[in-house]
Amino acid sequence: MNRRTLLGGLFAAASVPALSACASGITSLDSQGSASGGGGSSKGGLTIGTANFTENQVLGYLYAAVLKQAGVKVKVRPNLGTREIVIPALRGGDIDLLPEYQGALLNYLAPKDDSSEPGTMQNALTLAMPAGLQVLPYGQAADSDCFVVTRATARKYGLATLADLAKQNGRLVIGAAPEVKKRRVGALGLKDVYGVEFKEFRSLDSDGPLVKGALKKGDVDVANLFTTDTDIAAHDWVVLSDPKNLIPSQHIVPLIADRKADDTVRKALARLGNVLTTEQLTQLNSQVDNDKKDPEDVANAYAKQHGLA
Amino acid sequence: MFELFKNLGTWLTSGGSWSGSDGIAHRLAEHLQYSLLATLVAAAIGLPLGLLIGHTGKGAFLAINLSSFGRALPTVGLVVLVFLAGGLSMLPVYVALVALAVPAIVTNTYAGMTAVDPDVKDAARGQGMRGHQVLFQVELPLALPLIMTGLRLALIQVVATATIAAYVSFGGLGRYVFDGLAQRDLVQVLGGAVLVAVVAVTLDLLLSTLQRLLSRHRAA
Repeated sequence: MNRRTLLGGLFAAASVPALSACASGITSLDSQGSASGGGGSSKGGLTIGTANFTENQVLGYLYAAVLKQAGVKVKVRPNLGTREIVIPALRGGDIDLLPEYQGALLNYLAPKDDSSEPGTMQNALTLAMPAGLQVLPYGQAADSDCFVVTRATARKYGLATLADLAKQNGRLVIGAAPEVKKRRVGALGLKDVYGVEFKEFRSLDSDGPLVKGALKKGDVDVANLFTTDTDIAAHDWVVLSDPKNLIPSQHIVPLIADRKADDTVRKALARLGNVLTTEQLTQLNSQVDNDKKDPEDVANAYAKQHGLA
Repeated sequence: MFELFKNLGTWLTSGGSWSGSDGIAHRLAEHLQYSLLATLVAAAIGLPLGLLIGHTGKGAFLAINLSSFGRALPTVGLVVLVFLAGGLSMLPVYVALVALAVPAIVTNTYAGMTAVDPDVKDAARGQGMRGHQVLFQVELPLALPLIMTGLRLALIQVVATATIAAYVSFGGLGRYVFDGLAQRDLVQVLGGAVLVAVVAVTLDLLLSTLQRLLSRHRAA
Protein backbone atom coordinates (compact mmCIF):
# COMPACT_ATOMS: atom_id res chain seq x y z
CA MET A 1 0.00 0.00 0.00
CA ASN A 2 1.52 3.29 -0.96
CA ARG A 3 1.15 6.52 0.91
CA ARG A 4 -1.51 8.00 -1.31
CA THR A 5 -3.93 5.11 -0.94
CA LEU A 6 -3.27 5.08 2.77
CA LEU A 7 -4.08 8.76 3.08
CA GLY A 8 -7.19 8.25 0.99
CA GLY A 9 -8.22 5.56 3.44
CA LEU A 10 -7.51 7.80 6.38
CA PHE A 11 -9.65 10.58 5.00
CA ALA A 12 -12.48 8.23 4.14
CA ALA A 13 -12.37 6.94 7.70
CA ALA A 14 -12.20 10.47 9.04
CA SER A 15 -15.55 11.29 7.47
CA VAL A 16 -17.49 8.89 9.73
CA PRO A 17 -17.18 11.13 12.70
CA ALA A 18 -19.86 12.28 15.08
CA LEU A 19 -20.86 9.04 16.80
CA SER A 20 -17.40 7.87 17.70
CA ALA A 21 -16.62 11.34 19.02
CA CYS A 22 -19.48 11.21 21.49
CA ALA A 23 -18.56 7.71 22.52
CA SER A 24 -15.10 8.76 23.57
CA GLY A 25 -15.02 12.39 24.66
CA ILE A 26 -11.55 12.39 26.11
CA THR A 27 -10.76 15.85 27.25
CA SER A 28 -8.66 15.46 30.34
CA LEU A 29 -6.21 13.19 32.05
CA ASP A 30 -8.64 12.28 34.77
CA SER A 31 -11.23 10.88 32.43
CA GLN A 32 -11.23 7.14 31.85
CA GLY A 33 -10.48 7.65 28.19
CA SER A 34 -12.71 6.15 25.57
CA ALA A 35 -15.30 3.63 26.63
CA SER A 36 -13.89 0.15 26.43
CA GLY A 37 -14.27 0.34 22.66
CA GLY A 38 -15.02 -3.20 21.51
CA GLY A 39 -12.83 -5.55 23.50
CA GLY A 40 -9.18 -4.95 22.77
CA SER A 41 -6.76 -7.08 24.75
CA SER A 42 -3.09 -6.75 25.56
CA LYS A 43 -2.86 -10.33 26.83
CA GLY A 44 -0.82 -11.51 23.87
CA GLY A 45 1.67 -8.67 24.40
CA LEU A 46 2.13 -5.64 22.19
CA THR A 47 4.77 -3.98 20.04
CA ILE A 48 5.72 -0.33 20.50
CA GLY A 49 7.07 1.55 17.52
CA THR A 50 8.90 4.88 17.63
CA ALA A 51 9.76 7.52 15.08
CA ASN A 52 13.31 8.44 14.15
CA PHE A 53 14.24 11.01 16.77
CA THR A 54 15.57 10.85 20.31
CA GLU A 55 12.55 12.02 22.24
CA ASN A 56 10.21 9.60 20.53
CA GLN A 57 12.51 6.70 21.36
CA VAL A 58 12.75 7.77 25.00
CA LEU A 59 8.95 7.88 25.11
CA GLY A 60 8.71 4.45 23.50
CA TYR A 61 10.95 2.94 26.19
CA LEU A 62 9.02 4.79 28.91
CA TYR A 63 5.80 3.24 27.58
CA ALA A 64 7.55 -0.14 27.61
CA ALA A 65 8.71 0.29 31.21
CA VAL A 66 5.28 1.17 32.62
CA LEU A 67 3.54 -1.55 30.59
CA LYS A 68 5.99 -4.20 31.78
CA GLN A 69 5.24 -3.11 35.32
CA ALA A 70 1.53 -3.60 34.58
CA GLY A 71 2.25 -7.16 33.45
CA VAL A 72 2.04 -6.66 29.69
CA LYS A 73 4.59 -8.34 27.46
CA VAL A 74 6.14 -5.60 25.31
CA LYS A 75 8.60 -5.35 22.47
CA VAL A 76 10.05 -2.03 21.27
CA ARG A 77 10.92 -1.38 17.65
CA PRO A 78 12.80 1.91 17.81
CA ASN A 79 13.74 4.32 15.06
CA LEU A 80 11.26 3.16 12.42
CA GLY A 81 11.10 6.45 10.55
CA THR A 82 8.81 9.39 10.04
CA ARG A 83 5.07 9.60 10.58
CA GLU A 84 4.57 8.63 6.93
CA ILE A 85 6.14 5.26 7.78
CA VAL A 86 5.10 4.50 11.35
CA ILE A 87 1.38 5.16 11.01
CA PRO A 88 0.99 2.72 8.10
CA ALA A 89 2.98 0.21 10.18
CA LEU A 90 0.51 0.75 13.01
CA ARG A 91 -2.50 0.24 10.76
CA GLY A 92 -0.93 -2.79 9.12
CA GLY A 93 -0.39 -4.49 12.48
CA ASP A 94 3.43 -4.45 12.53
CA ILE A 95 3.27 -2.27 15.62
CA ASP A 96 0.45 -1.63 18.10
CA LEU A 97 1.34 1.48 20.03
CA LEU A 98 3.09 4.73 19.20
CA PRO A 99 3.97 7.87 21.18
CA GLU A 100 2.47 10.78 19.24
CA TYR A 101 1.98 14.55 19.55
CA GLN A 102 -1.47 16.14 19.45
CA GLY A 103 -0.83 18.97 17.02
CA ALA A 104 1.43 17.08 14.64
CA LEU A 105 -0.87 14.07 14.51
CA LEU A 106 -3.94 16.23 13.94
CA ASN A 107 -2.13 18.09 11.19
CA TYR A 108 -1.36 14.74 9.55
CA LEU A 109 -4.90 13.41 9.84
CA ALA A 110 -6.90 16.60 9.33
CA PRO A 111 -4.65 19.35 7.95
CA LYS A 112 -7.45 21.94 7.83
CA ASP A 113 -8.29 21.73 11.53
CA ASP A 114 -6.83 24.73 13.35
CA SER A 115 -7.82 24.05 16.95
CA SER A 116 -5.02 24.74 19.42
CA GLU A 117 -6.36 24.16 22.93
CA PRO A 118 -5.47 20.65 24.26
CA GLY A 119 -9.03 19.53 25.08
CA THR A 120 -10.48 20.68 21.75
CA MET A 121 -7.59 19.06 19.93
CA GLN A 122 -8.15 15.77 21.69
CA ASN A 123 -11.77 15.78 20.50
CA ALA A 124 -10.68 16.78 16.99
CA LEU A 125 -8.20 13.89 17.01
CA THR A 126 -10.89 11.44 18.03
CA LEU A 127 -13.03 12.74 15.17
CA ALA A 128 -10.22 12.38 12.67
CA MET A 129 -9.08 8.95 13.83
CA PRO A 130 -9.10 6.26 11.11
CA ALA A 131 -10.94 3.00 11.82
CA GLY A 132 -9.09 0.61 14.09
CA LEU A 133 -7.02 3.27 15.84
CA GLN A 134 -7.63 5.44 18.88
CA VAL A 135 -5.83 8.04 20.96
CA LEU A 136 -5.61 7.58 24.72
CA PRO A 137 -5.72 10.51 27.18
CA TYR A 138 -2.89 12.95 26.63
CA GLY A 139 -0.08 13.44 29.13
CA GLN A 140 0.98 16.70 30.72
CA ALA A 141 4.35 16.80 28.91
CA ALA A 142 4.34 18.69 25.62
CA ASP A 143 6.87 19.36 22.90
CA SER A 144 5.55 22.41 21.09
CA ASP A 145 6.86 25.17 18.91
CA CYS A 146 7.93 28.22 20.84
CA PHE A 147 9.40 31.61 20.14
CA VAL A 148 12.53 32.40 22.10
CA VAL A 149 14.63 35.50 22.77
CA THR A 150 17.86 35.90 24.72
CA ARG A 151 17.67 37.20 28.27
CA ALA A 152 19.37 40.43 27.15
CA THR A 153 16.86 41.01 24.32
CA ALA A 154 13.95 40.32 26.66
CA ARG A 155 15.25 42.91 29.10
CA LYS A 156 16.11 45.49 26.45
CA TYR A 157 12.69 45.44 24.77
CA GLY A 158 10.57 44.33 27.74
CA LEU A 159 9.46 41.06 26.15
CA ALA A 160 7.56 38.40 28.08
CA THR A 161 4.70 37.35 25.78
CA LEU A 162 4.21 37.14 22.03
CA ALA A 163 1.93 40.18 22.34
CA ASP A 164 4.91 42.24 23.54
CA LEU A 165 6.59 41.70 20.18
CA ALA A 166 4.04 44.03 18.56
CA LYS A 167 5.39 46.94 20.61
CA GLN A 168 8.65 46.58 18.69
CA ASN A 169 7.11 46.25 15.21
CA GLY A 170 9.61 46.74 12.41
CA ARG A 171 12.58 46.44 14.74
CA LEU A 172 13.12 42.74 15.38
CA VAL A 173 14.53 40.02 13.12
CA ILE A 174 13.10 36.51 13.38
CA GLY A 175 14.98 33.34 12.49
CA ALA A 176 13.13 30.11 11.67
CA ALA A 177 12.84 27.32 9.12
CA PRO A 178 11.66 28.53 5.68
CA GLU A 179 8.20 26.93 6.06
CA VAL A 180 7.51 29.06 9.15
CA LYS A 181 7.26 32.14 6.94
CA LYS A 182 4.02 30.82 5.44
CA ARG A 183 2.69 28.96 8.47
CA ARG A 184 -0.02 29.93 10.87
CA VAL A 185 2.28 28.91 13.72
CA GLY A 186 4.78 31.40 12.39
CA ALA A 187 4.92 34.78 10.71
CA LEU A 188 1.29 34.65 9.45
CA GLY A 189 -0.30 33.78 12.80
CA LEU A 190 1.89 36.20 14.73
CA LYS A 191 0.62 38.96 12.46
CA ASP A 192 -3.04 37.86 12.52
CA VAL A 193 -3.35 37.08 16.21
CA TYR A 194 -0.84 39.42 17.84
CA GLY A 195 -0.32 42.09 15.15
CA VAL A 196 3.42 41.44 15.07
CA GLU A 197 5.44 42.66 12.12
CA PHE A 198 9.11 41.76 11.94
CA LYS A 199 11.81 43.84 10.34
CA GLU A 200 13.03 40.75 8.53
CA PHE A 201 12.42 37.02 8.28
CA ARG A 202 15.63 34.97 8.14
CA SER A 203 15.13 31.47 6.71
CA LEU A 204 17.40 29.12 8.68
CA ASP A 205 16.75 25.63 10.04
CA SER A 206 14.25 23.92 12.29
CA ASP A 207 15.64 24.11 15.84
CA GLY A 208 19.11 23.29 14.49
CA PRO A 209 22.63 24.73 14.67
CA LEU A 210 21.90 27.60 12.26
CA VAL A 211 18.98 29.21 14.03
CA LYS A 212 20.48 28.68 17.48
CA GLY A 213 23.87 29.97 16.31
CA ALA A 214 22.22 33.07 14.87
CA LEU A 215 20.30 33.70 18.11
CA LYS A 216 23.47 33.28 20.18
CA LYS A 217 25.42 35.71 17.98
CA GLY A 218 22.59 38.24 17.89
CA ASP A 219 22.05 37.91 14.13
CA VAL A 220 18.40 37.22 14.87
CA ASP A 221 16.40 38.56 17.84
CA VAL A 222 13.64 35.95 17.95
CA ALA A 223 14.07 32.26 17.16
CA ASN A 224 11.54 29.50 16.57
CA LEU A 225 12.55 26.45 18.69
CA PHE A 226 10.91 23.48 20.42
CA THR A 227 10.03 23.53 24.11
CA THR A 228 11.99 20.36 24.90
CA ASP A 229 15.26 21.75 23.56
CA THR A 230 17.82 21.61 26.41
CA ASP A 231 19.71 24.59 24.96
CA ILE A 232 16.90 26.92 26.02
CA ALA A 233 17.65 26.38 29.71
CA ALA A 234 21.39 26.01 29.15
CA HIS A 235 21.62 29.50 27.61
CA ASP A 236 18.99 31.05 29.88
CA TRP A 237 16.85 31.98 26.86
CA VAL A 238 13.34 33.30 27.42
CA VAL A 239 10.35 31.48 25.94
CA LEU A 240 7.68 34.07 25.08
CA SER A 241 4.32 32.99 26.44
CA ASP A 242 1.30 32.60 24.18
CA PRO A 243 -1.74 34.11 25.97
CA LYS A 244 -4.01 33.84 22.91
CA ASN A 245 -3.21 30.16 22.18
CA LEU A 246 -1.79 30.70 18.72
CA ILE A 247 0.49 27.69 19.01
CA PRO A 248 -1.35 24.37 18.95
CA SER A 249 -0.83 22.12 21.89
CA GLN A 250 1.62 19.28 21.32
CA HIS A 251 0.89 17.23 24.38
CA ILE A 252 2.17 13.70 24.13
CA VAL A 253 -0.60 11.29 23.33
CA PRO A 254 -0.48 7.49 22.94
CA LEU A 255 -1.80 6.31 19.57
CA ILE A 256 -2.90 2.70 19.82
CA ALA A 257 -4.62 0.02 17.76
CA ASP A 258 -8.13 -0.82 19.03
CA ARG A 259 -7.21 -4.51 19.16
CA LYS A 260 -4.71 -3.91 21.99
CA ALA A 261 -6.39 -1.11 23.93
CA ASP A 262 -7.60 -2.59 27.21
CA ASP A 263 -7.89 -1.11 30.69
CA THR A 264 -4.48 -2.35 31.81
CA VAL A 265 -2.72 -0.48 29.02
CA ARG A 266 -4.91 2.58 29.38
CA LYS A 267 -4.27 2.94 33.10
CA ALA A 268 -0.53 2.31 32.88
CA LEU A 269 -0.09 4.97 30.19
CA ALA A 270 -2.38 7.45 31.99
CA ARG A 271 -0.24 7.06 35.11
CA LEU A 272 2.90 7.88 33.11
CA GLY A 273 1.12 10.81 31.43
CA ASN A 274 0.23 12.27 34.80
CA VAL A 275 3.79 12.03 36.13
CA LEU A 276 6.06 12.97 33.24
CA THR A 277 6.51 16.75 32.85
CA THR A 278 7.95 18.70 29.94
CA GLU A 279 11.03 19.61 32.02
CA GLN A 280 11.67 16.00 32.92
CA LEU A 281 11.31 14.90 29.31
CA THR A 282 13.75 17.63 28.29
CA GLN A 283 16.20 16.26 30.85
CA LEU A 284 15.81 12.72 29.53
CA ASN A 285 16.42 13.93 25.96
CA SER A 286 19.53 15.69 27.14
CA GLN A 287 20.86 12.55 28.82
CA VAL A 288 20.60 10.75 25.49
CA ASP A 289 21.75 13.56 23.19
CA ASN A 290 24.40 15.24 25.30
CA ASP A 291 25.54 12.53 27.74
CA LYS A 292 25.27 9.80 25.07
CA LYS A 293 23.32 7.43 27.30
CA ASP A 294 21.18 4.62 25.95
CA PRO A 295 17.52 5.71 25.60
CA GLU A 296 16.29 2.42 27.12
CA ASP A 297 18.49 2.83 30.23
CA VAL A 298 17.42 6.46 30.60
CA ALA A 299 13.74 5.52 30.38
CA ASN A 300 14.06 2.61 32.81
CA ALA A 301 15.96 4.72 35.35
CA TYR A 302 13.27 7.41 35.19
CA ALA A 303 10.43 4.90 35.59
CA LYS A 304 12.11 3.30 38.58
CA GLN A 305 12.86 6.65 40.22
CA HIS A 306 9.22 7.75 39.92
CA GLY A 307 7.73 4.47 41.11
CA LEU A 308 6.40 3.57 37.67
CA ALA A 309 8.41 0.39 37.28
CA MET B 1 2.52 15.96 -14.20
CA PHE B 2 1.10 18.02 -17.07
CA GLU B 3 -0.59 20.25 -14.52
CA LEU B 4 2.75 20.82 -12.79
CA PHE B 5 4.42 21.97 -16.01
CA LYS B 6 1.47 24.17 -16.88
CA ASN B 7 1.73 25.85 -13.46
CA LEU B 8 5.46 26.15 -13.94
CA GLY B 9 4.86 27.93 -17.23
CA THR B 10 2.41 30.30 -15.57
CA TRP B 11 4.83 31.01 -12.75
CA LEU B 12 7.73 31.70 -15.10
CA THR B 13 5.76 33.95 -17.42
CA SER B 14 3.55 35.98 -15.09
CA GLY B 15 4.78 39.51 -14.45
CA GLY B 16 4.00 39.23 -10.74
CA SER B 17 6.60 36.54 -10.10
CA TRP B 18 9.33 38.64 -11.75
CA SER B 19 8.95 41.84 -9.73
CA GLY B 20 9.61 42.77 -6.11
CA SER B 21 12.35 41.75 -3.69
CA ASP B 22 11.25 38.10 -3.90
CA GLY B 23 10.79 38.35 -7.66
CA ILE B 24 12.74 36.35 -10.23
CA ALA B 25 14.59 39.40 -11.60
CA HIS B 26 15.97 40.29 -8.20
CA ARG B 27 16.82 36.67 -7.30
CA LEU B 28 18.50 36.22 -10.67
CA ALA B 29 20.66 39.30 -10.12
CA GLU B 30 21.63 38.05 -6.66
CA HIS B 31 22.49 34.62 -8.03
CA LEU B 32 24.67 36.11 -10.77
CA GLN B 33 26.39 38.33 -8.24
CA TYR B 34 27.22 35.42 -5.91
CA SER B 35 28.38 33.16 -8.75
CA LEU B 36 30.49 35.66 -10.65
CA LEU B 37 32.17 37.10 -7.56
CA ALA B 38 33.01 33.64 -6.20
CA THR B 39 34.38 32.49 -9.57
CA LEU B 40 36.45 35.67 -9.96
CA VAL B 41 38.02 35.22 -6.53
CA ALA B 42 38.65 31.54 -7.29
CA ALA B 43 40.29 32.50 -10.60
CA ALA B 44 42.44 35.10 -8.84
CA ILE B 45 43.72 32.31 -6.59
CA GLY B 46 43.68 29.36 -8.98
CA LEU B 47 45.11 30.83 -12.19
CA PRO B 48 48.41 32.16 -10.80
CA LEU B 49 48.84 28.99 -8.78
CA GLY B 50 48.19 26.73 -11.78
CA LEU B 51 50.47 28.79 -14.02
CA LEU B 52 53.24 28.79 -11.44
CA ILE B 53 53.27 25.06 -10.83
CA GLY B 54 52.80 24.37 -14.53
CA HIS B 55 55.67 26.65 -15.54
CA THR B 56 58.14 25.60 -12.87
CA GLY B 57 56.95 22.01 -12.58
CA LYS B 58 57.50 22.33 -8.83
CA GLY B 59 55.01 21.74 -6.05
CA ALA B 60 52.41 20.31 -8.40
CA PHE B 61 51.63 17.30 -6.22
CA LEU B 62 51.10 19.42 -3.12
CA ALA B 63 49.13 22.20 -4.82
CA ILE B 64 46.81 19.90 -6.71
CA ASN B 65 46.06 17.70 -3.74
CA LEU B 66 45.57 20.64 -1.41
CA SER B 67 43.18 22.32 -3.80
CA SER B 68 41.33 19.07 -4.47
CA PHE B 69 40.73 18.94 -0.76
CA GLY B 70 38.39 21.88 -1.30
CA ARG B 71 36.43 19.87 -3.84
CA ALA B 72 36.11 16.94 -1.45
CA LEU B 73 34.75 19.05 1.41
CA PRO B 74 30.99 18.82 1.75
CA THR B 75 29.81 22.28 0.79
CA VAL B 76 26.92 22.49 3.23
CA GLY B 77 29.18 21.34 6.07
CA LEU B 78 31.71 24.02 5.21
CA VAL B 79 29.00 26.68 5.13
CA VAL B 80 27.71 25.65 8.55
CA LEU B 81 31.23 25.50 9.99
CA VAL B 82 32.19 29.00 8.85
CA PHE B 83 28.75 30.26 9.87
CA LEU B 84 29.09 28.90 13.41
CA ALA B 85 32.57 30.41 13.70
CA GLY B 86 31.78 33.78 12.17
CA GLY B 87 28.06 34.45 12.34
CA LEU B 88 25.41 35.23 9.79
CA SER B 89 26.90 36.80 6.67
CA MET B 90 27.64 35.91 3.04
CA LEU B 91 31.22 34.99 4.02
CA PRO B 92 30.47 31.29 4.70
CA VAL B 93 28.82 31.00 1.30
CA TYR B 94 31.71 32.65 -0.54
CA VAL B 95 34.29 30.54 1.31
CA ALA B 96 32.48 27.36 0.31
CA LEU B 97 31.96 28.43 -3.31
CA VAL B 98 35.58 29.51 -3.74
CA ALA B 99 36.81 26.26 -2.18
CA LEU B 100 34.66 24.42 -4.71
CA ALA B 101 35.84 26.43 -7.73
CA VAL B 102 39.61 26.61 -7.11
CA PRO B 103 40.42 22.90 -7.75
CA ALA B 104 38.90 22.84 -11.24
CA ILE B 105 40.84 25.98 -12.18
CA VAL B 106 44.17 24.84 -10.72
CA THR B 107 44.11 21.33 -12.12
CA ASN B 108 42.99 22.40 -15.59
CA THR B 109 45.50 25.22 -15.77
CA TYR B 110 48.25 22.86 -14.68
CA ALA B 111 47.10 20.20 -17.16
CA GLY B 112 47.07 22.78 -19.95
CA MET B 113 50.59 23.88 -19.08
CA THR B 114 52.02 20.38 -18.94
CA ALA B 115 50.37 19.50 -22.25
CA VAL B 116 52.51 22.09 -24.03
CA ASP B 117 55.06 20.22 -26.15
CA PRO B 118 58.48 20.43 -24.40
CA ASP B 119 60.14 20.84 -27.81
CA VAL B 120 58.18 24.04 -28.34
CA LYS B 121 59.36 25.40 -24.99
CA ASP B 122 62.92 24.38 -25.82
CA ALA B 123 62.70 26.13 -29.16
CA ALA B 124 61.39 29.28 -27.47
CA ARG B 125 64.29 29.26 -25.02
CA GLY B 126 66.68 28.51 -27.84
CA GLN B 127 65.54 31.68 -29.57
CA GLY B 128 66.59 33.57 -26.44
CA MET B 129 63.19 34.01 -24.76
CA ARG B 130 63.26 34.54 -21.03
CA GLY B 131 61.21 32.60 -18.51
CA HIS B 132 58.31 35.03 -18.32
CA GLN B 133 58.31 35.42 -22.10
CA VAL B 134 58.05 31.66 -22.55
CA LEU B 135 55.23 31.62 -20.01
CA PHE B 136 53.14 34.42 -21.43
CA GLN B 137 53.93 34.18 -25.14
CA VAL B 138 54.22 30.42 -25.63
CA GLU B 139 52.83 28.33 -22.80
CA LEU B 140 49.79 30.44 -21.88
CA PRO B 141 48.38 30.75 -25.41
CA LEU B 142 48.86 27.04 -26.04
CA ALA B 143 47.32 26.10 -22.68
CA LEU B 144 44.41 28.51 -23.11
CA PRO B 145 41.77 25.99 -24.27
CA LEU B 146 42.27 23.83 -21.17
CA ILE B 147 42.46 26.87 -18.87
CA MET B 148 39.16 28.11 -20.27
CA THR B 149 37.65 24.66 -19.76
CA GLY B 150 38.67 24.85 -16.10
CA LEU B 151 37.03 28.26 -15.72
CA ARG B 152 33.85 27.04 -17.38
CA LEU B 153 33.71 23.96 -15.18
CA ALA B 154 34.26 26.07 -12.08
CA LEU B 155 31.59 28.56 -13.09
CA ILE B 156 28.97 25.87 -13.76
CA GLN B 157 29.67 24.21 -10.42
CA VAL B 158 29.46 27.53 -8.63
CA VAL B 159 26.20 28.56 -10.34
CA ALA B 160 24.62 25.26 -9.37
CA THR B 161 25.94 25.36 -5.82
CA ALA B 162 25.22 29.06 -5.14
CA THR B 163 21.72 27.85 -4.25
CA ILE B 164 23.08 27.15 -0.75
CA ALA B 165 23.15 30.89 -0.03
CA ALA B 166 19.45 30.40 0.65
CA TYR B 167 20.28 27.74 3.23
CA VAL B 168 21.74 30.43 5.47
CA SER B 169 18.89 32.86 4.84
CA PHE B 170 20.32 34.79 1.87
CA GLY B 171 18.89 35.23 -1.62
CA GLY B 172 19.64 33.91 -5.08
CA LEU B 173 17.63 31.34 -6.98
CA GLY B 174 18.14 28.83 -4.16
CA ARG B 175 15.50 30.80 -2.25
CA TYR B 176 12.84 29.22 -4.50
CA VAL B 177 14.26 25.73 -4.03
CA PHE B 178 14.56 25.87 -0.24
CA ASP B 179 11.31 27.77 0.37
CA GLY B 180 9.44 25.60 -2.11
CA LEU B 181 10.67 22.39 -0.48
CA ALA B 182 9.82 23.64 3.00
CA GLN B 183 6.40 24.87 1.94
CA ARG B 184 5.60 21.84 -0.28
CA ASP B 185 5.36 24.14 -3.29
CA LEU B 186 6.71 21.98 -6.13
CA VAL B 187 6.17 24.65 -8.78
CA GLN B 188 8.53 26.97 -6.93
CA VAL B 189 11.15 24.22 -6.49
CA LEU B 190 11.02 23.23 -10.14
CA GLY B 191 11.03 26.88 -11.25
CA GLY B 192 14.14 27.60 -9.19
CA ALA B 193 15.90 24.52 -10.52
CA VAL B 194 15.03 25.33 -14.13
CA LEU B 195 16.26 28.90 -13.74
CA VAL B 196 19.56 27.70 -12.23
CA ALA B 197 20.04 25.33 -15.16
CA VAL B 198 19.26 28.09 -17.66
CA VAL B 199 21.75 30.45 -15.99
CA ALA B 200 24.47 27.76 -15.94
CA VAL B 201 24.01 26.86 -19.61
CA THR B 202 23.82 30.50 -20.72
CA LEU B 203 27.00 31.47 -18.89
CA ASP B 204 28.77 28.41 -20.27
CA LEU B 205 27.75 29.35 -23.81
CA LEU B 206 29.00 32.90 -23.26
CA LEU B 207 32.36 31.64 -22.02
CA SER B 208 32.75 29.17 -24.86
CA THR B 209 32.03 31.96 -27.34
CA LEU B 210 34.65 34.08 -25.61
CA GLN B 211 37.06 31.17 -25.81
CA ARG B 212 36.46 30.78 -29.55
CA LEU B 213 36.98 34.48 -30.12
CA LEU B 214 40.24 34.38 -28.16
CA SER B 215 41.64 31.45 -30.10
CA ARG B 216 40.57 32.90 -33.45
CA HIS B 217 42.31 36.12 -32.52
CA ARG B 218 45.46 34.16 -31.77
CA ALA B 219 45.30 32.22 -35.01
CA ALA B 220 44.96 35.37 -37.06
